[in-house]
Amino acid sequence: MSSLNEQSSLALKRTVIVAIFAAVSVVLSLVEMYIPVNMSVPGAKLGLANIMVLTCLYFLRARDAFMMVILKTLLTAFIFGTFSSFLFSIMGALFSFAAMWFLLAVGRNKLSVIGISIIGGIAHNFGQLTAAALYFQSMNIFYYLPMLMIMGVLTGIAVGIAVRYLIPALSKLSLFDGFLAESS
Amino acid sequence: MKRGDILLIGLIVIVALAFLIPRWFEPSEKNHNEPRVANITVDGKLFKTVELTKEEQTIDVKTEFGYNILKVHDYGIEMIDADCPDKVCLTFGFVERNGGTIVCLPHRLMVEIEGAPGEGDGIDVIVK
Repeated sequence: MSSLNEQSSLALKRTVIVAIFAAVSVVLSLVEMYIPVNMSVPGAKLGLANIMVLTCLYFLRARDAFMMVILKTLLTAFIFGTFSSFLFSIMGALFSFAAMWFLLAVGRNKLSVIGISIIGGIAHNFGQLTAAALYFQSMNIFYYLPMLMIMGVLTGIAVGIAVRYLIPALSKLSLFDGFLAESS
Repeated sequence: MKRGDILLIGLIVIVALAFLIPRWFEPSEKNHNEPRVANITVDGKLFKTVELTKEEQTIDVKTEFGYNILKVHDYGIEMIDADCPDKVCLTFGFVERNGGTIVCLPHRLMVEIEGAPGEGDGIDVIVK
């Protein structure tokens, strides 16, 4: 009986965390749009939403983080974009999620959240360029990949530092009880 | 930051620079001798092919998706105005290298620069 209560309580906490993280991701995307970052590389972004994706991967299971990524992308597309922008966003988000999940599973000992965040940012750019290449039927789009890789390193470091501060802070909340034991 | 992070950053920067450095050292005189053209496609179909000249010329692209203005000058091309919502296409700047592109996603517009055959600068394959 107590075990059943614990399981349902944990499932409810997961659902709440996924919902909150998805909402915060959308807000971060909104904030990012209003930051006048005049990058010389077209399409380069800060990638603030990756803060929540990486944190979600850290605390919850990959399945929950995947749901959060889908939710975040759908919400952002409904609020801001069109179908084609959704295609680009979902490709970038899925590439980023897969890369970060793989590195968290395999290289947790060798890489900190900063390294994982860097790979996530670059994978996001690579996913979006792949979507653009498919959309425009041209491989010339990858002309911009090297510059986006360097931008990905810089934004990945910034996102990683943010996550590094966020995880200890969230660990103190009672909502996140019972999840640290799973991840570490 | 761990040692793995440093190695990762170094690896990424080296790979990116390996692609970028050949571009920076590309001789510019050679480019001006070869005639280069910009292919303008809308929704996958060729809209117009324009030669990149030193003289200035303006190209209006009015389609069902929207309106873009391109300007050719000094052997290159750039997007100078568009009525798309995000105006990301204006951030591509002045493009003059082979393989360079200008993309306007909301208008499904794409500008690609092609050079003489054999003049390799990045990936020139166009899959249509």
